[in-house]
Amino acid sequence: MIRNLSAVTLTAVLMASTAGAQTVLDVVAWKGNEAEPAGLPELIEKFEAANPDIEVDLTYVARKDVDKVIPPRLQGGNPPDVTMVDSSLVDLWGGAGFLNDLGTGSAWYDRMVPAVREVMTTDGEIRVFPLEVIGMGNFVNMDLMAKAGIDKAPVTLDELKAACQALAAQGIAPMIFAGGFPAMLFVGANGIDPNGVSPAEYGSGERTFVEDENFNAALDGVRDLVAAECFDPELQAGLDPWATAPQEFRSGNVAILPQGAWNIGNFSSVEGLTFQFAPMPSRYTDKGLALDLVGPGWAIPRDAEHAEAARKWVDFFAEEENLTVFLKAEGAYSPYTGGVSTMPDLAAPYTQARAEGSLILWPFSTLEFPKALQSEWEDSITGFLLNIDKPNEDTLQRWDDTVEDSM
Amino acid sequence: MMSLSDTATPRTATSPDWDLFRRRGKSILVHCIVLGLVAIMLLPLVYMVMMSFKTSTEIAQDPLGLPDSLYWGNYMAALSSMGYVRSVLNSMGITISVIVVVVFSGAMAAYPLARLQNRISRVIVMVMALGLATPNFVTITPIYVIFRDLGLLDSYLGIVLAFAALKLPLAVFFYTSFIAAIPIELEEAARLDNCNNWQIFWHVIRPLLAPVTATLSLFVMIMVWNDFIYPLLLLTDKDKLTVMIAVYKFVGNTGIDPTKLFPAAVLGSLPLLLMFAVFQRKIMAGATAGAVK
Amino acid sequence: MRARLSLYWFTVPALLVIGLFFIHPILLTWNMSLTNFAGIGEAKDVGWRNYERIFTRDRYLQEIWLTLWYTVIVVSALTVTGLFFAAMLHRLPLIRNFSRAALYTPAMMSFVVVGYIWQFLYSPLNGGINVALRDLGLGAWEQNWLGDPALALYSVAFTQIWMFTGFTCAIFLAGFAGIPEEIGEAGRLEGATSWQRFRYLELPLLGPSITVSVMLTTIGTLKTFELPFILTKGGPDGATRLLSIDIIDNLFGQYKFGFASALSIVMLVIVLVVAFLQNKVLRDRENA
Repeated sequence: MIRNLSAVTLTAVLMASTAGAQTVLDVVAWKGNEAEPAGLPELIEKFEAANPDIEVDLTYVARKDVDKVIPPRLQGGNPPDVTMVDSSLVDLWGGAGFLNDLGTGSAWYDRMVPAVREVMTTDGEIRVFPLEVIGMGNFVNMDLMAKAGIDKAPVTLDELKAACQALAAQGIAPMIFAGGFPAMLFVGANGIDPNGVSPAEYGSGERTFVEDENFNAALDGVRDLVAAECFDPELQAGLDPWATAPQEFRSGNVAILPQGAWNIGNFSSVEGLTFQFAPMPSRYTDKGLALDLVGPGWAIPRDAEHAEAARKWVDFFAEEENLTVFLKAEGAYSPYTGGVSTMPDLAAPYTQARAEGSLILWPFSTLEFPKALQSEWEDSITGFLLNIDKPNEDTLQRWDDTVEDSM
Repeated sequence: MMSLSDTATPRTATSPDWDLFRRRGKSILVHCIVLGLVAIMLLPLVYMVMMSFKTSTEIAQDPLGLPDSLYWGNYMAALSSMGYVRSVLNSMGITISVIVVVVFSGAMAAYPLARLQNRISRVIVMVMALGLATPNFVTITPIYVIFRDLGLLDSYLGIVLAFAALKLPLAVFFYTSFIAAIPIELEEAARLDNCNNWQIFWHVIRPLLAPVTATLSLFVMIMVWNDFIYPLLLLTDKDKLTVMIAVYKFVGNTGIDPTKLFPAAVLGSLPLLLMFAVFQRKIMAGATAGAVK
Repeated sequence: MRARLSLYWFTVPALLVIGLFFIHPILLTWNMSLTNFAGIGEAKDVGWRNYERIFTRDRYLQEIWLTLWYTVIVVSALTVTGLFFAAMLHRLPLIRNFSRAALYTPAMMSFVVVGYIWQFLYSPLNGGINVALRDLGLGAWEQNWLGDPALALYSVAFTQIWMFTGFTCAIFLAGFAGIPEEIGEAGRLEGATSWQRFRYLELPLLGPSITVSVMLTTIGTLKTFELPFILTKGGPDGATRLLSIDIIDNLFGQYKFGFASALSIVMLVIVLVVAFLQNKVLRDRENA
C-alpha cells in the first residue's frame, strides 16, 4: 500500500515538472472559484487564445487568507505575477513599495469614474486596475412582499416600516439585520449624508461620531425599525452574515436581506425565488441610497517575474468587451465611464437610484474610515442590537475611540 | 451514572434463572444506553451527510427532515470541479512522507532524552515544549522566508518538512515517555554484544515503538488532511494542492451555500475517515499507549 | 561517559527542525513585538509600547481571563466526558472498538468544516438544534445559541468538547487497558459496585493518562482560534473574544503585526506557564 502510494506521488512529481516552455502567468484572486466564478474561466480561455505563448495559472485564495499568504510572497521577492487587491491592500502593499505603478498615462486611467480615480490614485501613482464598483442594498423577496399586499421594493424609510408591519401581520419574518454586516449598511446609509459631511471628516477624527446629529439619528432609525416589527434585535446577533443569514433569504424565510450585489448570481440559481435588489432606505432621500463598494482590481507586484505578460493581462481586462463579461457575472457596475450596463433587470431599483445620483461610496472601501473601525462597527452595532435602549453615546464613543487609536 | 451498569444485585429469593435473565437484561440495557449516547454524538455528522443529499428547495423547506431521495446532483457538481482525485492523492502522498520524517527524527531524538537524565536533556525538552506551545500563525512569515532561501517553495519536500516540524515536538514527547518505560536490560545485553548506539536504537528500540507510531500517524494524518494555510502558502502549483484547499476553493467564503458546503465537507473528510476505518484496529490497539507509558 | 554523551547526536535532526521552525520564528516575533511593523515594509522601533498597551488596558486582561476560563470549561468537560465514555466502554468490550472509533470521528474533521456544520445547527431561526427542539415539542427551550452573550461562549465550548471527547476517551481507554486485570477482579470479589471500583481502584491508577490528557487538551485549547473565529468571530460584541481571536484580528484585520506579535508573546508565556504549573501539580499528585 505504502509503496504504491509513494509511486503515485513520484509520478505526480515527474508529471508536474514536464510543463512546457511557455510563460506561466501566476495570478492570485479571491474570485474565479466555483462559488463565485466571476466569468474568469471564460476570460482566461479567451486570453490564452489571444496570447498562445502565455498560460494562465489562476490560484483561488479566499480574501481573508490573502492577508496570510501573499505578504510573505511579496516580502520574499517571489510574488505572483498578478494579484487581486482591494483598496486597503493597495494602501498597505503599495504604500510599502511592493506594487508597480501602472501609469496614469493609459487610456483606461482617463476613463475611470472620477470618484474611483481619486480613491485609487496615491502619490501620483495608480497601482491597481480597478475591476468593479459593486452595489450594496436590500435583497427583497417579491413573492413574500406580494403576500403582504406590496408590489414594490421599499426605498424610503416609511415604505420600509409599512412593509415590515404588513409582513409581520402575515406572520412573515420581515428583515435580517445581523450586526456583522447587514445592520452596518443601514446605519451607514442613514448616518452619511450624500450631500453633507464627508465621511473622511469622521475617519480622520476631525468630527466626532458621538456629537454628530446624523449618526445619532441613524441609531434612532434602527430603533424605529424595531418598533415597526422589522426584526427582533436580539435574534440578529446569532446570525452569521455570510452563512446562515443568506441561507434564510435563499430559503424564502425572510423578506428583506441587506447584503452585497455579489449574491445576485447565487440567489438567482435558487429555483422559485423571485427577488429584487433595491437601494437602502435613507433619511436623506426618497429614492433610496445606493451604497457603492469600490471593489477589487488587479495589481502587478514589483518583483513579478513575468511583468510583461502581467501587463497584457491587465490590458486585456481594460478592453470593454472583456470587462463586461466579468461585470455581468459579478452583478457589478463598471468603474469606467461609458460602457454598457450589464446589470440584470432585478437590480433595476438600485440602478435607478444610482442613475439619479442618490449614491455614496462605502467609506470602508475608500479608506475614508480606517480599517480598524470596521470590526468595531461589527462589534458595537451587535452590542447595540442586544441592548437597544442604551444611550447612543455608548456605541458612538467606541467609534471615536477606535478612530483615535488608529491614528 | 456509573451505578447504571452492574451494581451488585441483592441476591433475594429469585430463582437462578431469573437472576441470570435480569443481569442479561441489564447488560443489554447498558449497551443500548451507551450506544445511544454514541449515536447522539454522531448526530451532527449525520446532519452533514443528510444535508449533502438535499436539493436547495428541500433544505429551505425542511432543514432537518430526511431527503426525499438521495440527490446526487450536489456531489456531481462538487466532483466535476474540485480536482478531487488528484488532491486526494497529493494529501495521501504528503501524509505518508510526513509520517516517515516525524517518526524517524522524533524517535531518534527521544532515545537519548529518555536514557540520559541530566541538564542537557532538560534543556532540549524545554526547547521541544516551546515548539508545542507556539501558536502556528506566529511562524508563517519567517517560514516562508526560510523556504525561499532554501529553494523549498512549491516542492513536496518543503511542505513535508513544514508539516513534520509541527508534529515533531509531540512525537518527541510521546517517544520519550514510551522509551523510558522500556527496560534498560534489553539494551545492556546488546551493548555486551558490542553493538554501537545506532545498532541498539535500530535493532532493539525501534521494533518496540509500533504502538506510539500508530498513534502519531493518526495525528499527522489529521493535521495534513485538514490544514490549509501551509499548502496555500508554500505550494502554488495547482497540481500539488491538498484536499482541503480543493474544498475551500469550491465552497468560497462569502455567501456560503449549503448545497456546496455539505457535499464538499463530506468529500473532504471521507478519504481520511476511510483510511482510519481500515487502519483503526492497528492505530487504536496501542493508541496513546506511548503517551501513558 | 563519552559514549553516552555521543547519544545526543541523535537529537540533531529534530533540533535542527525545531530551531528552524519554532525558535527562529519566535525570536523574530519577539523582535517584531518591539516595533510597529505592519506586516510588510519598514518596521519602526517602539520599545515596550505594545506591551504597555496590553497591560494597561482592561480589554486585553479580560481576554486573557476569558481565554483561561474557556480553557477551564473545555478541559474539565473533556476530562469528564472522556472518563465517562472510557469507563463505560472499558466495561463493555463488545462495543468498545466501534464506539471508540465512532467517538473519534469528529476529531478528525477540519475545524472549518466543523465550524460551518455547527453554524447551521446553532442558527437561531431555522438552525438544526432549534428546529429539533420545536419538533420535539420543546419549543420553550429554543435559544439564540451564538447570539446571546451569556450563552455564546458555552456554545462554542460545547462544539469544541463535542469535537474532542473521542480524543480524551481514547487516551483514557489506553490508561484503562494498562490497569492489571487482577485489580478489577479483586474489587468485584469484594462486592464493590461499578462506581466504587471506578472511584477507588481505577481512578487512582489513571493518573498518568489524566496528566497527558489534561496537558494536551489545555495546550490545544489555549491556542485555539478556529472554532470561535468561524462560529462567532469573537462576538456577539466581544463575548467570545479570546486572546487568539484578537491576535488574528490585529494581524489580518488591522495589519498591526507589531502589536499582534506582542500579544502572541504574551500568549506563548501564558501557555508555557500554565503547562509548567499543570505538569508540576499533576506529576506531584501522581507520585503522591
